[in-house]
Amino acid sequence: MHKTSYNHNPMKTILLFVASILVAMNTVAQKTGSVEIQFDNVVGNQDLVLKDKTYTNANGDEFAVSLFQYYVSNFRLTRKDGSEYVVPQDESYFLIREQRPETQRIVLKNIPKGTYVGVSFVIGVDSLRSASDVSRRQGCLDVGGEGKDMYWAWNSGYIFVKMEGRSPQVPMTGNRKDLVFMYHIGLFGGMGDKKTLNNIKAANLSFGADKVRVKTDDITRIGIKTDASKLLNGSTNVSIAANPSVMGGPYSKHIADNYATMFSYDGLKKELPAGKGAGVVGMNE
Amino acid sequence: MTLKTGIALCGFGVLLLSFCTKNEPALFEKPANFPAPTYKFAENPLTADGVALGKMLFYDALLSKDNTISCGSCHQLSAGFTQHGHALSHGINDLLTKRNSMPLFNLAWSTDFGWDGGVHHLDLFPLVPLQNPSEMDETLADVLEKLRKTNQYPPLFTRAFGSPEINTERFLKALSQFMLTMVSADSRYDKAMRNEGVTLTEAEQEGLALVRQKCGNCHTGELFTDNKFRNNGLKRELNTDEGRYDITLLNEDRFRFKVPGLRNLAVTAPYMHDGRLETLEAVLDHYSSGVEDSPTLDPLLKQNGRLGIALTADEKSKILAFLQTLNDDTFLKNNRFAEFGLPEKPQQGSMATIDWSKVDLTLTNPVLKTSFDKVMGYYRDMLNGLLAEDGATVKQSALRMLNILKNVDRSQMTEQQRAFYALVYEDLGFDTEHVGETGLIAHQRDHFGDLSKNLYRLVKAFHLNKKPLYYHFCPKAVYNQGGYWLTETADSKGNPFFGKHDEACGTISHVVLE
Repeated sequence: MHKTSYNHNPMKTILLFVASILVAMNTVAQKTGSVEIQFDNVVGNQDLVLKDKTYTNANGDEFAVSLFQYYVSNFRLTRKDGSEYVVPQDESYFLIREQRPETQRIVLKNIPKGTYVGVSFVIGVDSLRSASDVSRRQGCLDVGGEGKDMYWAWNSGYIFVKMEGRSPQVPMTGNRKDLVFMYHIGLFGGMGDKKTLNNIKAANLSFGADKVRVKTDDITRIGIKTDASKLLNGSTNVSIAANPSVMGGPYSKHIADNYATMFSYDGLKKELPAGKGAGVVGMNE
Repeated sequence: MTLKTGIALCGFGVLLLSFCTKNEPALFEKPANFPAPTYKFAENPLTADGVALGKMLFYDALLSKDNTISCGSCHQLSAGFTQHGHALSHGINDLLTKRNSMPLFNLAWSTDFGWDGGVHHLDLFPLVPLQNPSEMDETLADVLEKLRKTNQYPPLFTRAFGSPEINTERFLKALSQFMLTMVSADSRYDKAMRNEGVTLTEAEQEGLALVRQKCGNCHTGELFTDNKFRNNGLKRELNTDEGRYDITLLNEDRFRFKVPGLRNLAVTAPYMHDGRLETLEAVLDHYSSGVEDSPTLDPLLKQNGRLGIALTADEKSKILAFLQTLNDDTFLKNNRFAEFGLPEKPQQGSMATIDWSKVDLTLTNPVLKTSFDKVMGYYRDMLNGLLAEDGATVKQSALRMLNILKNVDRSQMTEQQRAFYALVYEDLGFDTEHVGETGLIAHQRDHFGDLSKNLYRLVKAFHLNKKPLYYHFCPKAVYNQGGYWLTETADSKGNPFFGKHDEACGTISHVVLE
């Protein structure tokens, strides 16, 4: 074995490299904080309680909800001067499930410090990601994992919003054996010139008078209310009797138009008590 | 490592062909007369291990809910990867699907998948049959979980992707890798186009001209499809399936289906999206006189106030003659794609054109059956000898088995059985002889895998087994070429290629004969 300088130099290079990364990370950390968004799923002015509670829609139909879940993605935070901070896309996909409280708390990391006046996001999954290579569908977008019940194989694409439940208005016709309604809404517009319906919607929420300050190494918490009844009420008041099952058909457009308004800003929030779930972060973590 | 890299480079086929080592067949090659493929190989570079894993998955019934249906159940090589004799595919619990299973080849040139084109990427297609309640009725999440629990798959994923992790991307991409290697481009037509010493007959050439003139607007190019969706005027009262409309919800897409290619039609009957037409004659009759008008009928089928395409009887026969030139036996009999391989040796004489998978060779002669029962008994002894690493027993069993195989009374067989047996014996006898020529366990193992493979062919064709038969495959056996063995128990009973030194080989087990 010869002891030459070759043995030494690479190590020095590696150390320098590691040191520079640490410096770089530190620089970023000094200027950013996190924003936690707490989603609160409701029905009108009542809390959403799965299965056991009965609600009434604008059409006068009674219904109970057994399942409610949706994708939110592509978050942007708006500053007072109108400029935006765009959360890196790979960290910006979330699947909120009423059945799993830990999914109702999402964390947007590395947000530049400053004051923000609003947040916008996509309801569903944007068309680019819907058409992307399977390697770019991780975390909640994994069709063989977390996203398994939010994907249509036969018409390639994610289900953006899914609500199921029971209603006495469901007609017992055809093969139906139960008073179950199902609204599975998706369709991202199709590929190239091969168009399908495009049910991608965006939410654009103002923080109103609240000053949402992001501080270095700190977590700022805000709330967003999601009103599940908006699937049924809005520009089209849905009759559950007439449309007990909507999945990718032409009528899905009306439900998507309705739910485009289901999100509302719900004020600054405190840290949730322990046990309310650990919170989820972007899809690649 | 060098070899692997070489193979991976071959995966890029089209661009990097010149880098491939000469003795390794390229995993994917663009045929000279084909256009550039549309599949993005850069996002899923083919490797020999990836393709092998994909093949394993393609033929594994574990992909279905009750472990009874594999991709290969409805996509059979000898039928151009369609399902023999099924208008509608036959899935789990004897349920039928609503459409005819599509042929699987030349998928690297396809842009939309399925009759309605609802799937926009090959990688995403396997999710459809996997989740369809009348096909495999599974979820990908469950399949991944089942694969993770096996002993055999994690090592195979390591070989293909560098670590044992089994996830959505790897699963789907391995299946794509295998399916992408299914290239059919060696028909007489192709050889003629590439000037490989084949000339089409006059009738075939006239048929080609007619296809280009009368069918070429839709069945265009070397793939004989424009990859578009069209309503070809099938009678709607027979089937209310609206095809492409289900995807786009556009009225103009009602009753439109993908224009399929025209290759290997001899083995992909029945035809059309619902398999309603049993012969190519019926297909041509449909176009000449059976087209039904409707608001979305393709304008090409309604020109100058006439429905369909004008075809005389003479033109039809020439078109039929030409279509036969698009059948590709090199592809349809390529062992690379077959589940367990078909007879490999060239077949001669009157048996040259026989498709053995379609011939009933069941052996009924009681004397012959007793002989082959003994063969199976000696095979069991041989297997046990290998497990116990007892070379002398292995040798003795092999010699006894060879004695029967060699001297079995072939005059008691039918002509077809005799021809098939001659084919199989050529290989089976060779390997049995080698296992018996020495007591050296290493040499015996070198020949045992092929021996098992050919014995399996015999058992399958002659229906020799009395109980379900299980087929096991250890990819690491015989210098990583892989080796097979057969048992009458689901348990592989150890590993004959490693015996007492059994290591995690990633053995795949199937029940192959009920």
